[in-house]
Amino acid sequence: MNMTRVRAVAGKECREILRDRLFLALAFLLPVSLMLVFCYGISLDVENIPFAALDYDQSSMSRDYLHRFIDSRYFDYKGSVRIERDLEPMLAHSDIRFAVIIPPKFQENLLAGRPVAVQSIIDGTFPFRTSTSKGYVIAINAEFNGELLAGYISRHLGVSQKQAAAMSQPVRLQLRYLYNQEMKSVWSIASAMMMFVLMVCPPFLTALGIVREKETGSIYNIYASTVTRGEFLIGKLAPYVGISVINILILWFMAASVFGAPFKGDPFFFFISSVIYVICTTGIGLLVSLIVRTQVAAMMLTTIVTIVPSMLYSGLLVPIASMDAESKFEAHLFPTMYYNEIALGSFLKGIGPDQLWGNALVLTLYAVVLWTLSYLLFHKRPKS
Amino acid sequence: MKKYFAGTGKMLSLWWSRLATMTIKELLQLGRDPLLLAAIIYLFTLDIYMAGGVNMQLNNAMVAVHDADHSMASRELIYRFRPPYFKLKGEILDEHEGTRLLDSGEAMLVLDIPSKFQHDLIQGKTVDVQIQVDTSNTVLGFLASSYAGRIIGQYSFDMALKRMGLTKESLAEMPMLVDQHRVWYNPNQTDSWFMSISEMLTVITILSIMLPAAAAVREKERGTIEQLLVSPLSPMQILLPKVISMTMVILLGTAVSILLILEPAFHVPIRGSLSLFFLVSALYTFTTSGLGLFIATVSRNLAQVAMLTILIIMPMLFLSGAWTPPEAMPGGLRQAMYLSPLYYYIEMSYGILLKGTGINILWDSLLGIILLGILVFSFGVWRFRRQFE
Repeated sequence: MNMTRVRAVAGKECREILRDRLFLALAFLLPVSLMLVFCYGISLDVENIPFAALDYDQSSMSRDYLHRFIDSRYFDYKGSVRIERDLEPMLAHSDIRFAVIIPPKFQENLLAGRPVAVQSIIDGTFPFRTSTSKGYVIAINAEFNGELLAGYISRHLGVSQKQAAAMSQPVRLQLRYLYNQEMKSVWSIASAMMMFVLMVCPPFLTALGIVREKETGSIYNIYASTVTRGEFLIGKLAPYVGISVINILILWFMAASVFGAPFKGDPFFFFISSVIYVICTTGIGLLVSLIVRTQVAAMMLTTIVTIVPSMLYSGLLVPIASMDAESKFEAHLFPTMYYNEIALGSFLKGIGPDQLWGNALVLTLYAVVLWTLSYLLFHKRPKS
Repeated sequence: MKKYFAGTGKMLSLWWSRLATMTIKELLQLGRDPLLLAAIIYLFTLDIYMAGGVNMQLNNAMVAVHDADHSMASRELIYRFRPPYFKLKGEILDEHEGTRLLDSGEAMLVLDIPSKFQHDLIQGKTVDVQIQVDTSNTVLGFLASSYAGRIIGQYSFDMALKRMGLTKESLAEMPMLVDQHRVWYNPNQTDSWFMSISEMLTVITILSIMLPAAAAVREKERGTIEQLLVSPLSPMQILLPKVISMTMVILLGTAVSILLILEPAFHVPIRGSLSLFFLVSALYTFTTSGLGLFIATVSRNLAQVAMLTILIIMPMLFLSGAWTPPEAMPGGLRQAMYLSPLYYYIEMSYGILLKGTGINILWDSLLGIILLGILVFSFGVWRFRRQFE
């Protein structure tokens, strides 16, 4: 390994990047804008669910019950309808996602001590939102039921309302939210975004690099030169790893200051793991670049191996724990899952190398395998 | 006069035959890149199949229990944390172990039952049960606490009835609400329906921007554009075939994934009209290929194309309403959604495929797509012509 030659290749690559102004600008602009769009744009909190009501009873009790939905910040009241048929076009057009139907004689039955069935229609197009909405409805109904039960107890046993309320709820739940007490989704997204952005951007920087030289023929300069395979690969990719390391720092700063995600872990460990991760993802781009013959194919392949796994198999949108065996297996194939755990652990959980060293080790192994594979695939004497 | 018409007729047929020739050339070029072809086929089949297998619900969240009481009552409560939502991880002896399990992610919830739990319950006191939830992933954290709350609430309710000597049968003589949910369009909340359609729309979006852009810039980078420019072709005849051929490929891919993946593998009920869906898809690919042409005019090489495509696609995907409901978006971004063609396309696709709605309800989204399409596509064409004329 001759360092002068590595430096020469790296220097040539740097100059090429610097002279391609748009590319250079995008190399830094892309990560920052992805971070901004996602952190401001993804709010996975399900709130303001638009709903309509159909009140057949129109009594004071039904209005009281309805107001529990109207006053909740989770629901957004869009008005009442008179017949059930009117709800259909509203749901079909996504004007509302949920409708509550209060049956006739709601008040009369409840006062007479009879159970009443309350119907709710929920739009099932987006299953995650459906189950959350269902959760809200059940919670509101449970609270109403608690009050009904308390009233029933106080009337039947002749105790005061307050005593009855205590009797109707013998077990109380105290929930403690760990790591993210206020349930701010932007905190978890900001740290998960570091995983996502650093998975997508570095491969796109490098994937076209070698295949472009192949397509334009400038690779023959390398074939004819004294530069060895290893020197070429390292020199070629060093500038891109450099760019990505700068991007790590920028993204880290954004997550911590702009979006206020608390950093509780070990900064040194996090930085080192991030650098290893970036070397990994750069290596993915390198490998793609060596397999394909045309740049268009390189673009497609990079999209396939980066965007899809980082969205689906990293734990960003879909939790690893709740995956089925097949998806779980795929999740373990990509480096995203391991780094996502490091990022979440370092930011929100405040745990350090003693718990996360395993993940860092897997990333290192990943990087070694990728780079060795690329080294073996790259020949200075191409077959055709 | 007659001669004149014959002349234009000839001109027109020449125009069309040139267009057809160029379209065939684009298709041939695509067909001769086996890896690219394989990538496109993969995206429309296996990738959608894999995405459909991803489950978004809370499943088997690990619960560790610290039971200081070890009584009948505490055991009954513990056994209510059952699959599908929860799974018992086992018992822990002290709080430190609970913290360790939560830190390492081995458990998501720690349930803490105080000593004298049963004793206090029989005495008629109110007992507090503590649950610690890992909310580092807020979505899951929320679902887990909501389900746990439901379990404890039901247990508490049952205990209250038991204390008063009431049975399940006497519930019929009590004033209470009975939940009756009906979930429309996807009654069992099958995730694969949502996921596979969403992935298909994502694939269509990525390809419809990337393929035309790449086809145009490749000519620039290799210098073959010079050959095209000295030929008798007009800029429209150079550009339209790229869009037409890629739209054809994408529509074919869409048909393949609906017929081979969505219907047989996931049993997605195609409730609406498929021809309407393909019409909308064609309109949508034309619209977004306008974006691709714009990218092609801005960039000089394919590396720039790739990064600009990501820069445009990612916000589009996340502002589309598939992952974040439009109603939960902060104000400004909600307005921005109306500028994304994908927003209308998603609304229409789910409408047609899952809800079975027709043009009478979706006309406003269709109008949105057409307007945006005209705007974006003519902007792309204008830039392209200006660059090459």
